[in-house]
Amino acid sequence: MNSIVKDNLVSIVGEDFVITNISQKTSYLYDEIEHIMRPKADENSIVVKPKDTDEISKIMKYANKIKMPVVVRGGGTGLCGGCIPTKESIILSTERLKKIVEIDEDNMVAVLEAGVTLFELLEELDKHEGVGFPVHPGDEGAQMGGMAATNAGGARAVKHGVMRKHIQGMEVVLPSGEIMELGGKLIKNNAGYNLMQLIIGSEGTLAIVTKIILKIYPKDKYSATIIAPFKHFNDASNAVMEILKSGVTPLAVEYQDKHLFVETAKMLGTEWQAKQGNADLMIIISEKTEDLLYATCKQINDICQKNNSYETLFAGKKSEQDELLLIRSQHYEYIKDIIGHSFDTAVPVASIPAYLNELKELAKEYNTFTNITAHIADGNIHSDIVLVDGKMPPYAEELKDKIFKTCFKYNGTITGEHGVGKLRIDDLKLQKSEVELNLMKSIKKVFDPNNILNPGTVLDM
Amino acid sequence: MDILVLIKEVPDMQKVKFDSEKGVVNRSSAESEINPFDMNALQTAIDLKRKYNATVTVLTMGPPSAEKSLRDAFARGCDHLVLMTDRKFGGSDTYATAKTLASGIKYLEKYDLIVCGEKSVDGDTAQVGAEVAEFLNIPHSYYVEKINNINELEVEVVVESLSSSKQVRKMKLPALIGVTKNINIPKLPTVNRKLESLEVDVKKISLDDLSEYISEIDTGFKGSPTKVSKIIIPHPLERTSQIFKDDYISFKEAIKKEIKKNNIGM
Amino acid sequence: MSEYKGILVIAEQNNNVIHKVSYELLNKAKELAQSLNIPLNCLLLGNDGINAKELNYRGADTVFFMKSEIFLVAEEYLYKQNIVNFINENKPEIVLIGATNFGRSLAPRIAAALETGLTADCTNLKIDEDGHLIQIRPAFSDNILAYIKTAHYPQMATIRYKEFSEAERDLNREINIVELQPYFCNYDKTNIIKTLNDSDVNITEAEIVVATGRGIKKKEDLRMIETLAQKLGGVMGVSRALVDAGMTSSAYQVGYSGNRVKPKIYIACGISGAPQHLAGMKESELIIAINSDPSAPIFSIADYGYVGDIYEIIPNLIRDLD
Repeated sequence: MNSIVKDNLVSIVGEDFVITNISQKTSYLYDEIEHIMRPKADENSIVVKPKDTDEISKIMKYANKIKMPVVVRGGGTGLCGGCIPTKESIILSTERLKKIVEIDEDNMVAVLEAGVTLFELLEELDKHEGVGFPVHPGDEGAQMGGMAATNAGGARAVKHGVMRKHIQGMEVVLPSGEIMELGGKLIKNNAGYNLMQLIIGSEGTLAIVTKIILKIYPKDKYSATIIAPFKHFNDASNAVMEILKSGVTPLAVEYQDKHLFVETAKMLGTEWQAKQGNADLMIIISEKTEDLLYATCKQINDICQKNNSYETLFAGKKSEQDELLLIRSQHYEYIKDIIGHSFDTAVPVASIPAYLNELKELAKEYNTFTNITAHIADGNIHSDIVLVDGKMPPYAEELKDKIFKTCFKYNGTITGEHGVGKLRIDDLKLQKSEVELNLMKSIKKVFDPNNILNPGTVLDM
Repeated sequence: MDILVLIKEVPDMQKVKFDSEKGVVNRSSAESEINPFDMNALQTAIDLKRKYNATVTVLTMGPPSAEKSLRDAFARGCDHLVLMTDRKFGGSDTYATAKTLASGIKYLEKYDLIVCGEKSVDGDTAQVGAEVAEFLNIPHSYYVEKINNINELEVEVVVESLSSSKQVRKMKLPALIGVTKNINIPKLPTVNRKLESLEVDVKKISLDDLSEYISEIDTGFKGSPTKVSKIIIPHPLERTSQIFKDDYISFKEAIKKEIKKNNIGM
Repeated sequence: MSEYKGILVIAEQNNNVIHKVSYELLNKAKELAQSLNIPLNCLLLGNDGINAKELNYRGADTVFFMKSEIFLVAEEYLYKQNIVNFINENKPEIVLIGATNFGRSLAPRIAAALETGLTADCTNLKIDEDGHLIQIRPAFSDNILAYIKTAHYPQMATIRYKEFSEAERDLNREINIVELQPYFCNYDKTNIIKTLNDSDVNITEAEIVVATGRGIKKKEDLRMIETLAQKLGGVMGVSRALVDAGMTSSAYQVGYSGNRVKPKIYIACGISGAPQHLAGMKESELIIAINSDPSAPIFSIADYGYVGDIYEIIPNLIRDLD
């Protein structure tokens, strides 16, 4: 990195908040994408840590002038390489924008700077009796700005939807350095195009999110997790559809291949208690009263039994529920060394059984297997291509194409929640029409004529 | 075989708040639950029930609301629930608690093995079990990590690190054991049994029922030889925190210096 | 209550070697005995060959040595019967027992048999203006300190190991040993068939503890913590979560429900610092914390902290701390 750039950045944020030393930079170069899939970061990039919106604005003005790429970095918990600087860039870390501006219980909103982590938000809300925030992408190190920019999802989307649904306002800095306020604490707002919704999910390519106004909600006081083991996946899947139709809305319904539950539990040194069956559902419910909780429980249990489940298990204590969730979320640690490509497709809920069967058949066709983890009630499925002798198999591209084609056959999408990032730019072309892609490119050009904001992400420009 | 499990209802310790300025413990935000250590005691009894066709009775002393924890024990596989509840039991220290529990056990008559957890997370005294054994004049073993076998006459257990060695012990029944967390992994209840537990009967025992075994002066606040005279919520120890980020080299050097200063290891 | 007089420390021995907690109790008891101006006696149950004189050197005015091979086996009932009889004959006003595993199992039986109160796991003792014992003990996972008094006699307490320093050894002190025969030698309800060697990990004695918790993702990764610990000449420690998850035995567990440690250096790697864990290590002389979450509570009690991923830092430390 040229020393003039460094000097200019130092003049904006101060000596302490510009990093050029490679050993200190390494933790800013990558996200959580599978190693074998990750694009190489340009190690000449420079890390800058502004303290507020003004400093970000100044950095953008400068970068725009010299046409230097800027990659915004939040918690680094993404899974598609979105924040990896593949060209020599200014890595703009939002870690110092840590202020929880206010928790406004009258309007039920939280005003937060972009660098506040999910953990910090939940910890703060803990001090406010009965108030919570439901979206949970799994890793609490995720930052609010990043969660907004990537439209984060997670298991609880069944009941609460994804990030998009919960943001009421934003402050953003445009590539030109201009600062813009969008939305606000008000609920109804129908004035003009909704640029805020455009920026949500744009993966840091249109503007830098510096502040968000987030909806908060009365917390459900009672929760439970039900483990329902089935002999056949189709029974489990039928049970899920019947549950959704019955009017009870679980917080989350998770499916995972049995061996993933069993082996992840073993890896964690504990045991998976549902011994029978081949297809286990983890159904998380939450309600305002204890009576409601048990009524929901009974309703779900009846539906499961009607669909031939084995004896269902109940976890009511927080520690017990946490352990189950840990087994669910840590499966990735168990498989991460054996998988190459990992998918995040989504299809309409009713198509899941047929789609999953085809995925398994496809794997068989190549004499391999796939690990399935699904947010089954919202149609979002994580499957993978398994490595052969630690290497990506020669048929990987071919198999990937077939998987996506199958997904499109069911009117699905290549990414339910992880996003496009730098990983799926080419895949996006399979799903979107040229007209739509061209519109996206035009929008990008309007926001960022010099293409300095996270270039090479979402769209190939 | 009749197995009796003694449990305690405690506040969820993750949620209890301590105010060191005012010196108060605020439990209001904390739900009550079965003392985590007692979960292993319950599982021990349930495992024995499955293996030896035993009957498991759960006994607790507490306010009427402690019924909830008993129902949870039923959901996990216990058979009978007994709640010792009476205003006059209130304020019992460990001595009075043990004496009251022992009188309740005498009143119930039938027991071969009594199982308790290692200690409670709130009181943290670990003495009620042994005191109950003394009042009943039966043998006891704490820190039981394994039950080798049991029949109508005796139980053989493995006791961990007592006096710097493990022991294999046989005790004649009736006997009391306190189990450690290593003895088992507590299992989840089934949904069916959980729903059933909401309706099941809880037997209640009050002081009047126990007139044969204990009098009012031996229980509750009056029957307690120890009194808490005050409570302090200590401030956490202050340390001169020096936090590094990104600068691994300086961090490493700082540690190296400390290790050298202490002249230990390496 | 004037018939009760003096302080009695019950010494503990393992395999006929006096446990260090006995010297710690004598140290504190000496201070109490001086302020009350009463004798300090010690009761030792053990067999021939034990170094009973040492208890005199460490401050006991009289050592009552109840000698029998039955005491080579730790069994609560026989110990209790003999101690209760001794106490009923000698009537000490204060009885102190070490809160070791055996002490915790034995003391409640003694207290119940004597129909008196017992305060468990005290961390300090004081005398009030009326000459009563104030027993100070933590509760609620060490979040509070309770001051407790006992209305009955004797006033009994168990005291945590490593809470006080050992009494200094004074070879000029008078040797005064009274040998006794046990009152009871038989108990047919408990039979100790055999004793087995326990794991030889002793985390409470280690000068360096390298501990980890939820930051560890799987069992195999504990090897990296062990390697660092060994390299520094220390012992590995873990938080309760890992023991609960079955990743390792409770012998390594640090926390209020595990071992309380006070090493010279405590390195917490990937431990957020739940109150339960802090209770077991916060008195360490120097605390170093490594955690990826800068808001982890462990940093607030650390002397040095590093914000970062343990999977990057630990291998570096293993390489560099040579």
